[in-house]
Amino acid sequence: MSEASVTDRSTVEEPARAPVPASRRDIGWWARKAMWLALLIVLLALPLYLEAQWLKAGQYVMVGAVGAIGLTLLTGQAGQLSLGHAFFLLVGATSYTVLSAPTDEERVIGFGIDPALSLVGAVLITAVLGLAFAPVAARLRGIYLGVASLSLVFLGLYFGQAAEELTGGTSTGRSPATFELFGFPFSNEGDLEILNVPIRQTERVWYLFLALLVIAFLLARGAVKGRIGRSWRAVRDNEASAAVMGVGVGRTKAGVFAVSSAYAGLAGVMTVLWFDILKPDESEFGTYGINVSIAYLAMIIIGGLGSVPGALVGAFIVNGLPQALALYSTQAGWSTGTGEGAFTPILISSFVYGAAIILVVLFEPGGLAAIGRRIAGRLSGTQRGKETTQ
Amino acid sequence: MKRRMVALACASALVLAACGTKGGGSEEGAEGAGGVKAGVGVTDTEITLGVMTDQTGPFKNLSTGITHGNELWVKDFNAAGGVCGRKVKLEIVDHGYKADTAKTLYPQIEPKVLGFVQVVGSPIMAALGGDLEADQVTTTPASWSSELLGNPYVMIVGTTYDVEMIDGLSYLQEEGMIKDGDTIGHIYIDGEYGANGLRGSKAYAKEHNLKLREVKITSSDNDLTNIITGFKGQGVKAIALTTTPTQTGSAAAAAKALGLNVPILGNNPTFDPLLHDSPAAGALDNLYVVASSVPVAADIPKAKEVASKYKEAGFTEPPNAGVPYGYAVAEVWGAVLEKACENKDMTREGIHKALQETTSAQTGDLVAPLDFSKPGAPATRQVYVAKPDASVEGGMDYVKPLFEAEEAKAYKAPHEQ
Repeated sequence: MSEASVTDRSTVEEPARAPVPASRRDIGWWARKAMWLALLIVLLALPLYLEAQWLKAGQYVMVGAVGAIGLTLLTGQAGQLSLGHAFFLLVGATSYTVLSAPTDEERVIGFGIDPALSLVGAVLITAVLGLAFAPVAARLRGIYLGVASLSLVFLGLYFGQAAEELTGGTSTGRSPATFELFGFPFSNEGDLEILNVPIRQTERVWYLFLALLVIAFLLARGAVKGRIGRSWRAVRDNEASAAVMGVGVGRTKAGVFAVSSAYAGLAGVMTVLWFDILKPDESEFGTYGINVSIAYLAMIIIGGLGSVPGALVGAFIVNGLPQALALYSTQAGWSTGTGEGAFTPILISSFVYGAAIILVVLFEPGGLAAIGRRIAGRLSGTQRGKETTQ
Repeated sequence: MKRRMVALACASALVLAACGTKGGGSEEGAEGAGGVKAGVGVTDTEITLGVMTDQTGPFKNLSTGITHGNELWVKDFNAAGGVCGRKVKLEIVDHGYKADTAKTLYPQIEPKVLGFVQVVGSPIMAALGGDLEADQVTTTPASWSSELLGNPYVMIVGTTYDVEMIDGLSYLQEEGMIKDGDTIGHIYIDGEYGANGLRGSKAYAKEHNLKLREVKITSSDNDLTNIITGFKGQGVKAIALTTTPTQTGSAAAAAKALGLNVPILGNNPTFDPLLHDSPAAGALDNLYVVASSVPVAADIPKAKEVASKYKEAGFTEPPNAGVPYGYAVAEVWGAVLEKACENKDMTREGIHKALQETTSAQTGDLVAPLDFSKPGAPATRQVYVAKPDASVEGGMDYVKPLFEAEEAKAYKAPHEQ
């Protein structure tokens, strides 16, 4: 990953023109809106049809999507390479757990704050920490920044092991508080049925994650389309000319780091809720390790740097595919034996996502988002292919 | 064109809405064949036990050994007629040592199995702990940390790392290698495994007024020379290890090179017969390993029987300590199933009850006799002490048969009631 590819102009271009007034909105615009709406309806209906394990896999895709949106803003829109994303996940996860845990646990610290407030608090804390990294980010660019941010992951590893009162330690970890919204628990408590389907923890958490993802997605789209997004792209393309145009380069970099960290923090909270436990890693590979930072980079490269919908697709491929393959092959009974050289779904999925990255980098540096834009442009016959945000 | 797309999207949503939803539930505790209450994973002819193992990740070799041990036992058990007129079947899934994959696979496999005969990996156990408790699934983890015993549905076959350490240190003291007030060093991998070993050495040090020098490492630190040099400066009289075999080799070689001639005591996972073919081969003469289960080539009739069955079965991998352990675990499961059958209750609750009534599970000495009646306490506190010996098959020679130290008897495990 060289600086050139991060700041490659061909990946994402600015909107070619100002947003069109409503009267001139063409049929293509309505079609796209309808597509998103249909997708949302399908996602809302899925818990009524899918078994718990598929919902669990779907939730994991949503966790990845939230984190990937944050990274695509930072790396794709503002051109700041970061390998420290997993660290901010850990910070968000720990913050939520500490804030929401009961105050009377003997081994660990808890503040007993309402879970919904804890979630907001965790996102804010992570954003502030992202801001604290700004002085470093302001001085470095490209691969240098990538390596500097990589150190955060090791910092996180050490912190997870050392701060046992906060993280519960690597030996046992600690349980987070069940998420509640206005007294409604996201657990198996209480009887709730929709169309004869009992809505239990897995289904409830699905709706929670979906809501969080929709909020995260809309905010990111808004930022990319607006002034903030333009300043990010200006900084990405040429810092000197951005400064000439009156963009505060240092401030913009700090801001985008804070925003991206906040997204990672939210993904961290979701990670804890998904696992039902906060357990810091025992080595540099794990839930909050280097492998996770790299997985997020893979998501945004496959999806297309800087594209928010692309981040969703990338998350689907990187986080969803291994899970879906593992589930499907077990269901289909592709028993591959238990011995050496057993060709298990885990193995297949690593090949698939490795191949996906190579193919994207070789044949479509703009990622799947660029392919999507081309198809959309072909369909509507207009010059929509130039849009950043579609 | 666009309209067509919109129509398509709407139509698909409608189709979804028109299909039947997934409603319906599972029944538990219906009367089955032979007047036995049958629960999840039990039909009139079959009992399904789950295996969540690592076939592609870092613990592939050991896990594969354990799985083969499980499979050998199932074959034997079914040949002998099974239990309650039912045969045992294994449902095996690979999670590649990834907690996220395991968390997703769990809801898929859980409704099919009565219990888990094997769950590999401490990150995986941590992620599933709450689920196992909520679903009341009796589970054997492939880990010996006494911290896991806080979950009443966890069954650990063998003793735990902390008790191993206490027994081992008492052996060193008995042999006159250390005495009260000495300084000893303990190198441990931070995490479930290391922290639990350290708990044991701390407890023993407190009893005997030992000065403990703790050094925390990660599983990827493979050169321990500096740490051993530090120990030499501090005048340690013994070194305790809760590490990987590679790290054990490094520590032993460094001690030898520095002329630090003190006993080295390791938990059961610290030794692998492959060390005899490593550069550290000549430095292992001070190493003592404590374990409550036997290595693959132990000179015990049952172990030999398992080893020969392994050869017959034609598995391509070389056998390792996982094989007899996997067999022994399943053997204990057999005893629990028999007990549940006697009680005419083959539900998950029945299995849990049967487990607590299992007070002397015998595995033909593959593992010390086990008693599961005390919740939160290790099922045994007995260990073997072994020394590496390249001339013996299996690379280990026993210097002391099963014993239980006084300090181990008095020791209170973290979740003991």
